[in-house]
Amino acid sequence: MTTIPISTHDSPPFLLDLIYRMKIKDVMTRNLITARKENSLRDIKLLMKEKAITGVPITEPETRRILGVVSMDDIIRALDGGYIDAPAERHMSRNLIVLDEDMPLQFAISYLDKFRYGRFPVLNKERELVGIITSRDIIVALLVEVNKEVEKLEQKIVNPVPVAGEDIHLEFAVRKLDFENAGKASTEIKKVLKTRNLNPQIVRRIAVASYELEMNQVVHAEGGTISFALQGDRVVITARDLGPGIEDVNKALQEGFSTANEWVRSLGFGAGMGLPNVRRVSDEFSIQSKLGEGTTVKSVIFAAAEL
Amino acid sequence: MTTKDGRMTFDDIIRALSCTVVVRGTAFETAGIKSLVSSDLMSDVLTTTEEDFIISTSLNSEQVVRTADIVGALGIVLVNGKYPQDAMRRLAEEHGITLLSTPMDAYRVCFTLGCAMESRGRASP
Repeated sequence: MTTIPISTHDSPPFLLDLIYRMKIKDVMTRNLITARKENSLRDIKLLMKEKAITGVPITEPETRRILGVVSMDDIIRALDGGYIDAPAERHMSRNLIVLDEDMPLQFAISYLDKFRYGRFPVLNKERELVGIITSRDIIVALLVEVNKEVEKLEQKIVNPVPVAGEDIHLEFAVRKLDFENAGKASTEIKKVLKTRNLNPQIVRRIAVASYELEMNQVVHAEGGTISFALQGDRVVITARDLGPGIEDVNKALQEGFSTANEWVRSLGFGAGMGLPNVRRVSDEFSIQSKLGEGTTVKSVIFAAAEL
Repeated sequence: MTTKDGRMTFDDIIRALSCTVVVRGTAFETAGIKSLVSSDLMSDVLTTTEEDFIISTSLNSEQVVRTADIVGALGIVLVNGKYPQDAMRRLAEEHGITLLSTPMDAYRVCFTLGCAMESRGRASP
C-alpha cells in the first residue's frame, strides 16, 4: 500500500485538523540510511536487504545534498539489464519529488496519492536531506494520535467529571412543630451543594427531598434528625424520627393522603404530597416504620457533576 | 419593559399587579420571569418542575420563603393585600428573594399574568 485514502472533504474534523496540524518533520524517519554516488547498485541491493528498506537516497555527505534515489525498481532493472555492478550515479532516479520538513502532513498524504512513490525525501530550509517519509510513517503517526484522542474520549465517558472536593456529612436536629426553624437544614444543605459544581436541577431535587422530609418530621414526628451525606457523586439523605411511626406506609405513600390537622394545613403543608414527592425526586427511596418506635426514610440521589 | 426574549421583568409584574415592593431580591433587576406557580399549598409548589418562575400565594409565612429558596423561585407575590410579618421579610432578605404584595386576589393575579405572558408567547400550561 503506497497511498493513504483520507478524504479531505468528508472526514471527521478531528482527522482533518490533525493532518494539517502535524508537520512532516513530526512524522518522518530521521534515521537515514544513505549511499554515495560511487557505490555500486549491488552494494545498495545488499544494503536494502540488510536494512529491509525499499529505497536508498544517494547523497553527498559533505553537503548533505540529495543527488538521487535508488529504488527497488532500479535494482530490478539493473539485474535485468546486467548492470548491477555499475555505480549508483549512472542509473539512479534523478527526477526527485521532495518535501519540505515544515509542510503539513497533508502534503505528504496527497503526494503519496498523486505520485505513486513509496517514499519522499524530506529537506530542510537549507535544502539538506533531513529525513524520509513513507506511508508506514504516516500510518503509525496517525494511529498514535488518534489513539490518544480516543483515550481522552473514553476517559470522559467512563469517568464523568467527579464531584470536586471531599465527601460531606452533615446532621441536623429537627424539633416537633418548630415551624420557625423548619427548613433550616435544607437551606444549609442547599448552601453546601451550591459550593460544588453540581447540576442546578439535581441540587433542586436534593433540596426538595430534604425539605419534605424535614417538614414531615416537624409536622408529624416527636422530633428527629436529618442527615446528609455526599459520598463521591452520591447524595444520601436519611430522616430518622423518634415516633410515633406510620400506621400504614403504603397509604402514606399515596398522593393526597394526609393525617395532618387543620392547623398544619393552614400553614401550607399536610397536603399529602410529602412522601410521594420525596420518592419522585429520588433515584433510590426506602422507608421503614414501626408504630410506637419511629420512621426512617432514606433518599438517594445521584449528583453527577455538571460537565 | 420586557427582557429581550419576551420574558417579564419584576418591573412588568409590579406594574401589572399594582404591587408594593417589600424586598428587592438579588435578581430584581435582571430576572426574566417565564411563568407563575399559584398555590397556598407549599407541598404543591415543591412538586413543580418550572424554571424561572415566581410564586403567588395567600400564605403569609416563612415557609413560603423557604420553599421559594428550595425550588429556586425568583420571587413571591402575596395576594389579597397580605403584608408579610417581619420574620418572613427578614428571611426573604437573607435569601435574596424578591417579595411583593398585591391587592389583587389569586384569580386576578393568575388571569392578569396569564394574559400578559400569553401575549408574549411565553405562557406556560
